[in-house]
Amino acid sequence: MFGYVTPELPELKVREYQRFRALYCGLCRELGRRYGLTGRMILNYDFVFLAALLSEGEETCAYCMRRCPVHPLRRRCVCTASPALAAAADMSVILAYRKLEDGVADSRGLKKLGYRLARAFLSRSYKKAALARPAFDETVRRELAALYELEKAGSVSLDATADKFASLLACAAGEAGESARRPLHELLYHVGRIVYIADAWADLGEDFRKGEYNPVAARFGLTDGKPTNEAREAVLTTLMGSSRLAAAAFELLPAGYWTPVTENIVYLGIPKMILKVLDGTYRVRKPGLPKEPERVTGGTESEP
Amino acid sequence: MTDPYKTLGIPQNASDEEVKRAYRELAKKYHPDNYVDNPLADLAQEKMKEINEAYDIITKSRKNAGGGQSGYSSGYSSGGSAYQGAGNYAAVRQAINQGNLQYAEQLLNASSTRDAEWNFLMGSLNYKRGWLDDARSFFQRACAMEPGNMEYQQALQMATQMNSPYRRTGYGPPSEQGMDMCDMCTAMMCVNMMCNGCR
Repeated sequence: MFGYVTPELPELKVREYQRFRALYCGLCRELGRRYGLTGRMILNYDFVFLAALLSEGEETCAYCMRRCPVHPLRRRCVCTASPALAAAADMSVILAYRKLEDGVADSRGLKKLGYRLARAFLSRSYKKAALARPAFDETVRRELAALYELEKAGSVSLDATADKFASLLACAAGEAGESARRPLHELLYHVGRIVYIADAWADLGEDFRKGEYNPVAARFGLTDGKPTNEAREAVLTTLMGSSRLAAAAFELLPAGYWTPVTENIVYLGIPKMILKVLDGTYRVRKPGLPKEPERVTGGTESEP
Repeated sequence: MTDPYKTLGIPQNASDEEVKRAYRELAKKYHPDNYVDNPLADLAQEKMKEINEAYDIITKSRKNAGGGQSGYSSGYSSGGSAYQGAGNYAAVRQAINQGNLQYAEQLLNASSTRDAEWNFLMGSLNYKRGWLDDARSFFQRACAMEPGNMEYQQALQMATQMNSPYRRTGYGPPSEQGMDMCDMCTAMMCVNMMCNGCR
C-alpha cells in the first residue's frame, strides 16, 4: 500500500530535488537512530511526504554530511533530526507493524510464518513507537479493525472502506501546529483515499486470482478481475476529485521551505500517479534513493 | 495586522503591476468557487479577507503617495449559497451547512421518503465528507428523478469534474489527459454565469 506518493522528479528544480533527497536520507537516518537496521527497512516515500508536510511553514532546514550503511563510500547530505522526522519515523513503524498483524490474521501456511517472523522483528520497535505516539497507535488499531470488518462483510461502498484508511492517515495531522492542523487533516484524508483506492485498483487482478475481497471489484460488480471502461471513468473522476480537494486543502497550509516539494507532489506527482495506475503502467516505487531521471523526458527517441 | 506585502508574497518595492498580479493569483486560488461545499470553506474565506485587506492597504497607501493606480478595490465577494427547503429537509440543509454531518445523516436515515431531494441531500452530505463516489451516485439518482432541477444538475456537474487540480505556477497539469487551463477558466465562467442566473 506504500510508495504511491512521490514527486514528479523532472519537474523539480535541482535544489528542490536535493532537498527531497536529503529529507529522504534524513528519515532513513532517523529510523536507524531510533529503531536500528530493522527500522531502516520500512522506509518509504509516503512518509517522506508526511515529514515534509509536518515541517510545513518552517523557514529553513539544517543539514549535515553523513555516511550510511547502504552507501558507505560517499558521504551524503542529510537533514538533521527534527520533530517532524521523529513523528514520521514513529508513525511508519506503528503502521508497518499493524499491517503485519493484519497479514498474520489474513494468511495461511508459509506466508503466515513469514508475517509472524517479520512481526517479531519489528515488535520491539513497535512497543517503543506506540509508547511515544499512543493516540496514533490507538487510531490505527481502531480504523484497521473497522476496515477489516468492512472487508470481511464485502462492503460495496468504495468510499466507506477508503474512509477507514483515510481517517487513519488523517490522524497524523495531530502532530502539526495549531494553524496547520485542520487543512492538513483534510489533505491527508484525501491522500489516504487516493492511496487506498489506487492500491485496490492495482490489486484487482491479483485479488481475483486469490479469490480475495477487492473494494473496486465489489463496488462495480466485477467478477472476472478485469476493469470495465465504466469503472475506469468512475474511479478516475473520484480520484481526480479527491486530488482537487487535497490541493484546495494544501493551499491553506502555511507556506515555507518545503512548499516547492510538497506542491509538486500534490499538483503533479499525485495526478500523474492516478493516471498511470488507471492505465496499468504504474510501478510502485521501491525504497531506494530517488534516482535522477536516466532519460531526457519530453524528447523523441531515435537510433543513432 | 501583518505586513500586507508579506501577505501577498511580494517585496516592498514591487511595481503596481506586480501587486495586482499577485493579488489576482491569490484571489483566484482562494475564491469561494474553489471551496464550494468544502469543510475548509471558512479558512479559505478568512484567507480571502486577509488578501483583500492587504491589497486595499497597499493600493490606498500608494494612491496617497501619488502615482498609484487602483485595481478592483472591492475585491471578490463571497457568494453564500442560498438554500431553500421544506420541512425536515430544511433542518438537514442547515445541519450540512453548519458541518454537523452526523446529525444530518441521522435525520436523512430516519426520513421515510426517498425522493429526489433526499438523494440530493444525501449526495451533498457525502460530498462534504469527501466520499466522492457515493456522492456522485446520489446526485445521479436525484437528477434522474427530477431532470429539470438546476440545483441538482449543478451538484452533479461539480461532482463529475474530470480536470486535475488547478495550479497557479509552473508548468500546468500532467498532459496525458484532462482539460487544460483554458478549459478550466471557461468552465469557471460558465458556472459563474449560471450562478448569477439563479440569483
